[in-house]
Amino acid sequence: MRIMGVGGGAREHALAWKMSLSDHKPEIFWIAENRNPGIHKICKDNQGELRTGRTTDPKTIVRSSRGWGVDIVVVGPEEPGFNGIPDALEKEGIHCVGASQELSIIERSKADLRRLQWENNLPGKLLFRTFKNAREASDYIRKNIGTQPWLQNIVIKPARQSGGKGVKLIEDRLAHLHENKGRFKEAYFDSLQASMAAYSDIEDKILVEEKAWGPEYSLQCFTDGKTVLGTPLVQDNKSAHEFDSGPETGGMGSISGPDLALPFITRDEYDKSLKIVEGIVEAIQKKTGKSYHGMVGGQMMLTENEGPTIIEMYSRLGDPEALNMLAMLKTDIVDVFQAIVERRLSKLKLEFTNEDAVVVKVVAPNGYPEKKENAKGHPVQVFETNIKRNGCYLFWGNADLQDNGEAVTGGSRLLALMATDHTLPPASALIEKTMSSIQLTDGWGLYHRSDIGSEQLLAKRWDSAERVRRLYQYREEHGTLGRRMEWIPKVGTIDPSQLLLKEMQGPEKAG
Amino acid sequence: MPGLVGFYTFGEGRENWDASHFIRYGLGALQGRGQESISLATVGPGNTLHTLAGKGGVEDFFEKNKTSIPKGFIGIGQTSSYIDDYLVHVKTPYELVLALDGKTDLHENRREASKLFARQLSQLLHSENEPLKATSMLVNKIGGGYSFVALTHKRALISGRNPLGVKPLETGSVGFDIAAVASETCALDVMGIDHTGPVETGEVIMFTPEDIRGNAPAADAGNFCSYEYVYLARLDSTVNTLPVAKARNSIGRELAKAHPAKANVVIGVPETALPIANGYSQESGLPQEPGFVRTGENIRAALEPTQKERLVGVQLKLNPIKSAIENKDVVLVDDSVVRGNTLRNTVLNLKRNGAHQVHVRIGSPALVSPCPYGVEIPDADELISSSLDEKELANHVAADSVSFMTVEELQRAIGLPRQNLCMRCFENGGAKR
Repeated sequence: MRIMGVGGGAREHALAWKMSLSDHKPEIFWIAENRNPGIHKICKDNQGELRTGRTTDPKTIVRSSRGWGVDIVVVGPEEPGFNGIPDALEKEGIHCVGASQELSIIERSKADLRRLQWENNLPGKLLFRTFKNAREASDYIRKNIGTQPWLQNIVIKPARQSGGKGVKLIEDRLAHLHENKGRFKEAYFDSLQASMAAYSDIEDKILVEEKAWGPEYSLQCFTDGKTVLGTPLVQDNKSAHEFDSGPETGGMGSISGPDLALPFITRDEYDKSLKIVEGIVEAIQKKTGKSYHGMVGGQMMLTENEGPTIIEMYSRLGDPEALNMLAMLKTDIVDVFQAIVERRLSKLKLEFTNEDAVVVKVVAPNGYPEKKENAKGHPVQVFETNIKRNGCYLFWGNADLQDNGEAVTGGSRLLALMATDHTLPPASALIEKTMSSIQLTDGWGLYHRSDIGSEQLLAKRWDSAERVRRLYQYREEHGTLGRRMEWIPKVGTIDPSQLLLKEMQGPEKAG
Repeated sequence: MPGLVGFYTFGEGRENWDASHFIRYGLGALQGRGQESISLATVGPGNTLHTLAGKGGVEDFFEKNKTSIPKGFIGIGQTSSYIDDYLVHVKTPYELVLALDGKTDLHENRREASKLFARQLSQLLHSENEPLKATSMLVNKIGGGYSFVALTHKRALISGRNPLGVKPLETGSVGFDIAAVASETCALDVMGIDHTGPVETGEVIMFTPEDIRGNAPAADAGNFCSYEYVYLARLDSTVNTLPVAKARNSIGRELAKAHPAKANVVIGVPETALPIANGYSQESGLPQEPGFVRTGENIRAALEPTQKERLVGVQLKLNPIKSAIENKDVVLVDDSVVRGNTLRNTVLNLKRNGAHQVHVRIGSPALVSPCPYGVEIPDADELISSSLDEKELANHVAADSVSFMTVEELQRAIGLPRQNLCMRCFENGGAKR
């Protein structure tokens, strides 16, 4: 059989690697924007080919998959889904594993995701508010901060994914810093308004969410629209530098195992998280009338108000979280894809190892993520025998294979190293030992986070999980889970969550 | 002794952060380390260093200079107990400002020593291709006991701690936008920044527009200042991963175990000794009562400049609560004794207000020699314990007994290995016991 993959990151390299291990011995073809050295090699070794092209262009993808006569297309990143690649393929009768355009709204529009949750009163929500422009956002906050104190600590996001616009987390708890925090908020509203001006098809441009505190984790799932199968939890680390400091990145590394849940997340929290993701899949299918077949994931956080809570949704696998999950997957990946496209996932036995903990560390060139232009175009040298000897795996990310056989950096996350062991810290140490096997030959620097998977960082995660857990379990016992109660002088008790529910569901439904 | 703050920002919109504003509150939290001289420097979009310096305290300084506070989104600040002790500004060959706590061994005089250090740093940033590596070599080469934060006109913030690690330095971050370093964690708390851990001994951490990077710290755990736990650091800080409040409680408990007294009540001398008295009370079972109410600003007696001011200062500051001490035998707990003036006034004050016996218990060994790293412990001939033993001191202050902790007891109370604690001020020259 022939399989074609779409996308050129470490996640796609890992997918190709897993396909190459399949008993079906598929011929492996690929389309990516960059010539990923790892995918290139796997394709060559498996009677296939890696071709570069625009992965968001339906014509390119359909033409190639036709030309190669592939049986199944697997879409890695989110952008092809946003641009309707799965829809175009299926229209041509080609099986595709990947969320279609309408369904991928759960990732593309953070505002629509929140609306879906509140309209259906699903668990794991955060308070939110959308605004048409910066002025409206600033005015609303200024006017309502007294009666809705959650507006003090907020997350500001573009209502829809937009030209690399990031997320701003603003804690405004200290009176003496209030003025500067306020100015920062307003300036970011202005900046979002400017970058979102191009989208005339949506009214709401700015999303403001309640900021929550707690450990984050990803629950990635396979679904055929009828069944949602959960995979082991993975924790990614978004900050560029040690101990969660520095700018936001796509993810600097991740941990998982040895069990289905992470060391600091309980089995009960896993089950609740899976129910939450199932709820989203069901709700979005109901809303769009489309069947979801592909990958879906909840970027979750354990929060004091709700317990397991959705921060954002993935309409795909996470990168780098996919690497952990695929390393733990025992079931033949091609069987999984076939079951998805044939809508018989309920019959599939999805199995994972429960012996290995997996650590993934991303290596990025200096300059990423703030000055990508400086991080680009540096030649890479990799000592593969060392990596293998140390028992590590390498997955290429944003690298480009040149005609002379040399790989150069693309400016984003270069590659990921992965190792497994019975627990996380020795796996982390194994990668640390291997780091010197990756170099840039022009002397430009590389960096990674040595703390990922370390005892110290795990202890910090454990601690934060325990604190949040005590609070949400208290609320569970006292019947106030999900409530946000405020007592305002001369007004009395109000609950912004009940007000929002009423607003989203209409007065008659909320009762 | 100075308190240091470094404030760094990342990402889109960073120009909206007002570094001086954060530094103001960070320095405010560090005033316990000194408040004679305040200085700060910032850099913004223009890659120009703006500096300002003047007499403290922190609030006065910022109020007085409202219109000339430097603008910028990255900055460093220093509050110091020394007069006219400001950031060192080096303009060539590589422009930078330096704030330094402690003392390098480049010169006898602290300020000259800091200047020479700043010049070497400037030279090396100018000539070396790998500034991080070069700076960490410098820190390993230049002895003394110091922590520092430097800011360059190219928007790099460099922080470090020499391998001895006598002086504290802590790091923090919040969201994806802000990172900081400060002498104590309380400054991070007040700036709304989450503590992420200490700058390790021998570690240099460099913040640049491209990344945050650190060298490998020294293999040795360092030689931490024990006086930080006794007196210097603020109660809500964590120093070298050990919470100060926990250390002071355990000092009080150890003191009660090793130096019991027959009394009815435990009274602590505000503010530093209160948690020590609390530990003493918990261990001994004697009740602790509030014994004094302070009038006026919280100026720390050991750091006050002149003898005269000190005498006036103490009497004005501590008004005894008579009902707590009247007709009682009192254990009076203090953190340390420098010249003995505070202690004498306090003991007399208690007795004049009706206390019967007063047993003085000190939560540290006798101070007998000055600090080579710049903590304002006077020369030996100004330290009362270098000439009077416990009994003589008791007679001098009219107490019924005086006991200090031993070096071993203090080390046990803090709980760090002996080789990792600096106790030079309690040891050299030898105390008269």
